[in-house]
Amino acid sequence: MEIRLSVGYDEYENGERMTTLIENLAASPDAEKLSILTIGDWGQAYENSPDSFLDTLVQHRDSFPLLRKIFIGDMDSEECEVSWINQTNLSPLLVAFPKLQSLTIKGSTDLSLDPLEHENLQELIIICGGLPQEVIHQITNAKLPELQKLELYLGVDDYGFSGSVEDVLPMLQSGLFPKLKYLGLKDSEIQDEIAIAIADVPILDQLETLDLSYGTLSDTGSEALIASERIKKLQHLNLSYHYMSESMVKRWQDSGMSVDVSDQQVEEDEWRYPFLTE
Amino acid sequence: MALSVFDGIMISYVVTQKPANEQPFILIGNPGNKRTLGLQEARSSQGLKQSVLVPYQALLQRSLRIGDVLYDTVHQWCDRDCSSSVSPIIRLDAPGEDPEVEREFIAWGAPNFTENDAFCPFEFVSDGVFITAEEARQLPVQQGRILYPAQWFRGYCRFLYFIKKEAENAGFPIVWVNDPADIAVMFDKRSCSQLLTKHGVRMPALPAPAGSIVDYDTLQEAIALSGMNRLFIKLACGSGAAGVMAYQIHPVTGAELAVTTIGFEEREGERVYYNSGILRRYSDKAVIRRIVNWLCLEGAHVERWIEKESLRGKSFDVRQLVVNGEACHAVLRLSSTPITNLHLRNERQMMTEEILSSGLKQQVERTAISALSAFSNSSVAGVDVLVRRGSHETYVVDINPFGDLLYNVDYLGLNTYEWQMQQLQGKD
Repeated sequence: MEIRLSVGYDEYENGERMTTLIENLAASPDAEKLSILTIGDWGQAYENSPDSFLDTLVQHRDSFPLLRKIFIGDMDSEECEVSWINQTNLSPLLVAFPKLQSLTIKGSTDLSLDPLEHENLQELIIICGGLPQEVIHQITNAKLPELQKLELYLGVDDYGFSGSVEDVLPMLQSGLFPKLKYLGLKDSEIQDEIAIAIADVPILDQLETLDLSYGTLSDTGSEALIASERIKKLQHLNLSYHYMSESMVKRWQDSGMSVDVSDQQVEEDEWRYPFLTE
Repeated sequence: MALSVFDGIMISYVVTQKPANEQPFILIGNPGNKRTLGLQEARSSQGLKQSVLVPYQALLQRSLRIGDVLYDTVHQWCDRDCSSSVSPIIRLDAPGEDPEVEREFIAWGAPNFTENDAFCPFEFVSDGVFITAEEARQLPVQQGRILYPAQWFRGYCRFLYFIKKEAENAGFPIVWVNDPADIAVMFDKRSCSQLLTKHGVRMPALPAPAGSIVDYDTLQEAIALSGMNRLFIKLACGSGAAGVMAYQIHPVTGAELAVTTIGFEEREGERVYYNSGILRRYSDKAVIRRIVNWLCLEGAHVERWIEKESLRGKSFDVRQLVVNGEACHAVLRLSSTPITNLHLRNERQMMTEEILSSGLKQQVERTAISALSAFSNSSVAGVDVLVRRGSHETYVVDINPFGDLLYNVDYLGLNTYEWQMQQLQGKD
C-alpha cells in the first residue's frame, strides 16, 4: 500500500502538523500494509525542516513492518522552490528502517546523510537544485552494498554544487557500488565536463543505464560519448533535455542505440540552463 | 414515421433560412484575425447571416461612426418592412494583436486627448508613464515591447465609454454581448477583485487593499503586515501571461525569487520592458525591485499565490467559458511553472470527467458562472478558475471578456463561436 502525506500552507496555518498525520497513520489499520510512504510538503518547507517530524517517523518504525520505499519532500514549485526546501540529516531513517529498499529526497538545503550505511538499500535518488560537496563526499564514502540505482541532480553552484568535475570523479570508481546498474549524474551546469569524464570509465561496463539528462549537454560532451565503445554497450542512455545540435541528435538517432534525445533546448543569450535549478 | 420526416424538413429549414428570431449582428474587432474569422465561419455554419465587421481602427480614427453603422445595418436588414422589433446585437472583440490599433488606444489615453473618463477605474487613473497622442501615433513597432500599459488601458476605457454612448444615441434597442462598462471592469484586475469579492465570489486574498501597493517598498510593507510571502504581481490591465510575475521572498533569509516573462533592456538610453515569451527567473534584488517598481507604476494587482492542484506532475488551472449563465467549453492549462496561461510550452487539455471528478468539474463550473453573474449586462466570458491543492476550494483568478478563443475544444459538438452564435441568437 502506498500513502502520501502532505500539509498545505493553509492547513499548516490552521495548526495541522506532519507529526500528527504520521501518528494517525501509525495508529490506523493501513500502517501494517504500508509499503511506500511519500511525504510531500510538511508545511512551509522553506522555513521548516523534516526535523519537525523525523523523530515521530523513527519512533513509529515498528508500526510499518512492510515499509520499503520512502520519499521525503515530494513537492513542486507551487508549494516550495526546490532550492528553498529545508532538509536535515536523514541518516536516522536508514537506521530505523533496515529493510528499506528505496530512498528519494527532494531538496538539499542542510541535507546530510551521515553516516550513509545500509545493508538493503537498492535505490538512492536526490532531486535538488545543487548537490552540496559534503553530500557527494558522504556518497563516495557510503557503505551501500546492494545499491543498484543512484540518481543525483547535481544542479548549479548558486544552490550548493561546487561547480567542479573533481567532486564528481570519485563517484566513478568501479568498486564503490558493486551492484550498480543505473547511474544518473544529471541536471548539471557542467554536463559536458561530466560527459567527457565519464565517457570511457570502467564503471560503465557494469551499468545498464547511464542518465545524463536535464543538464546543459552540448555537442562538446556528446562527441566524447558517441565516440566511446563503452557507451555503445549500454542498454540505455538518457540524454533528454539537452543543448545538442540537430545534426548531433540525428547521429544519435542513427546510432542504433537505445538513446533518449528528446526535449532539445535552445540557448538563450548564449546561456544554457539545467532543467531544475530553483 | 411521418413525424420523423417532418423533423427532417424542420432541420433543413433552420439551416437554409434565416431563423425567425435572427437579429443583425455587429462585430467590432480587428479584421482578418482568428477571432473575427472564427466567428464569421461559425455564423455560416449555424445558418446565420455574416456579421457586420467594424474595424476598431475605423472607429478610433472616426472614419466610421457606430451610429451610422447601426442605421445602415438596421435598414438593410429590413428593407421591406422596418418594424420596431429589430434589436441589433453588438459584440466587442479583443482589441489586441494589431500594432496600429494599439498605438491609437495609447493616443486615446493621452493626457492631451479629450474624452470621457467615466469608465476608467477612478482611483487608479493617475497610474503610469504618459506620452502625448502625437507621440503615441509615431511609436515605432517594437516586437514584444509592453507599451505604456496604463495609458493604453485609459484609452481603451475612454473608447468603451465613447462607443457605448454613440451606439445608444443612435436610438435602436441594442443588445450588447458584453456591456462596455462591464468590459472596463473585467479588464482591470483591481476593480474586478473588488466587485467579485463584494458578490461573494472567492478570489485570492490580497496582502493590502487593491491598488494600495504602489512600489517595491509598499509591497514589502504589505508582505510584512500580511505574512504573505508568495504573491502574484500582475499588470492590472494585462491579459494572458503578459505582465505577470510569480514572486516570493524567503521569510528567514530574505532571498527573493521572481518568475516572469517580463524582460527589460536599455534601448537608446531608454529602459524598455518587454514580453520575452519565455519564463525568466530573477533572484537579483536590484533587478526584482526595478521590475516591481515598473509594474506598480503602470498599475499592479497583487494577490496571494495559492498553490494549484496538480495533474500528472503539472499544476493547472481551468479556463471555463460561460455563455448566457451556462458553463460550456473548458480547458485545463497544465504547466510545470507557476504561470499556466503562458501559451508557449504549456499543455492544454479539455476538462472532462475522466480528468477531473464530476464533483470538482461542477464546482469549477459553478464558480465560473457565479463570477460572470456579477456582471448583469454581460453574457460571455472566459473565467480562469484555480483549484487549491489539498482542500480543492475553487478561486476565480481572472475573468476575460474575450476569453473565448479556445482551440480544439467542443461542447455538445460545437466550437466556442458556434455555441455562442446558437445561444446568443435568442437573447433579448
